[in-house]
Amino acid sequence: MLSQTHRIIQALLFGASEPLTKTQADVCLQEDISLDRIVEDINAYFESEGLPVWIQNVAEGYRLMTRAEYEPWLNRLFQNKGKLRLSRPALEILSIIAYKQPITKNEIDSIRGVDTTVKPLVEKNLIDIKGRQDGPGRPLLYGTTTHFLEYFGLTSLKDLPRIKEITEIVSDENLPADYPEQDAAE
Amino acid sequence: MSYNVKLNVYEGPLDLLLFFIKRDEINIYDIPIAHITREYLDYIRLMQSMNFQLAGEFVLMAALLMRIKAQMLLPQPETEKLEEIEDPRTELVQMLVEYQKYKAVSDTLKNLEENQAQYFPVNSTLDCRNYDPELFLGEVTLIDLGLTFKKILEKLPKVHYFGVETIKVNIHQQIQFLREFFVKRNRVKFTEIASKLTNRIEVVVTFLAILELIKTTEIHVSQKDIFGEIWLTRKKTAEDHVITNA
Repeated sequence: MLSQTHRIIQALLFGASEPLTKTQADVCLQEDISLDRIVEDINAYFESEGLPVWIQNVAEGYRLMTRAEYEPWLNRLFQNKGKLRLSRPALEILSIIAYKQPITKNEIDSIRGVDTTVKPLVEKNLIDIKGRQDGPGRPLLYGTTTHFLEYFGLTSLKDLPRIKEITEIVSDENLPADYPEQDAAE
Repeated sequence: MSYNVKLNVYEGPLDLLLFFIKRDEINIYDIPIAHITREYLDYIRLMQSMNFQLAGEFVLMAALLMRIKAQMLLPQPETEKLEEIEDPRTELVQMLVEYQKYKAVSDTLKNLEENQAQYFPVNSTLDCRNYDPELFLGEVTLIDLGLTFKKILEKLPKVHYFGVETIKVNIHQQIQFLREFFVKRNRVKFTEIASKLTNRIEVVVTFLAILELIKTTEIHVSQKDIFGEIWLTRKKTAEDHVITNA
């Protein structure tokens, strides 16, 4: 059975336009609650009732989402805006920023070997200016946003796959076992 | 010699080199530089023959490859410490390995993106600004229609009418009009005269009439302060002199 607290949390999740954090939930309920447990209960309830929604742990909080099987209808509702995907260069730039933030545009350029445009990603609110680097020209430093986590369904930056894991899968024949791994996510 | 180049879009020279390395199953840590340079230059020439505008970075990489090739052809100085001689390819290998890493990461991100796109969050505001109005007229109210209609009306070219009216007053009339003020009085305020006038053209004609009377020395105009009241004073005519003197 769901308690009144469960129902309040459901209401908060219905109303919120961004992931609901534990801190926010505590402030709203004016008590220290176990949000993880409550969300677990609600998810089980949604599942058993066959409801078309579920609660996702994303961007350091919880967000009410539609279930995957309703994607075709929602895509029609949003006129396939939900089918838009980032371009390959955009994903490359995001990868570099995600693991090496805060990073300057010049550093991104030198890894990719080409001139990089970061403005579209700033406009999409996937990256943000995090400050300026000390040194000549005081270049801008870029980092990922909360929306970045939401967009890729990540709970936090720690959720990003480790570079070691990825490179092992993709090209173990190219990397000798003793190659020093730089895991920039940490 | 036949080319079997699949015209992928390469993000840059590093991307292109990684393509060769993968295609020819080359060990990234032991790149046959002569082979890869030849492949690379062939590709660039092909692109140029097809009038593709190649970015400067591609040319820069070509120069780097040829420099490495030249360095590897040069005989190494005789030395016992062989390990200390740096492989000219080291810098390029580091660049390729680093880039390959993030290329792999971007594939992972692509999968995450694909996965997350199945779910739609509550209160989501997907950018629908460019949506097709023929499909969705959801939020249009009667007021919106009215406002749109009003806007269209405002945008219609306006028809302007210019009327030309005959001037119904003339200087002689206004001189008579002015003289009537002086029948009982000798001094009249200009504002008093102006208050009797109804339109611009009357004011202009009356003003001309005043100037005319000044010219004929029938009246005298005086003003005490700047922007002060203007007084019109009747001058005594010769006829008056006769009367007063009589």
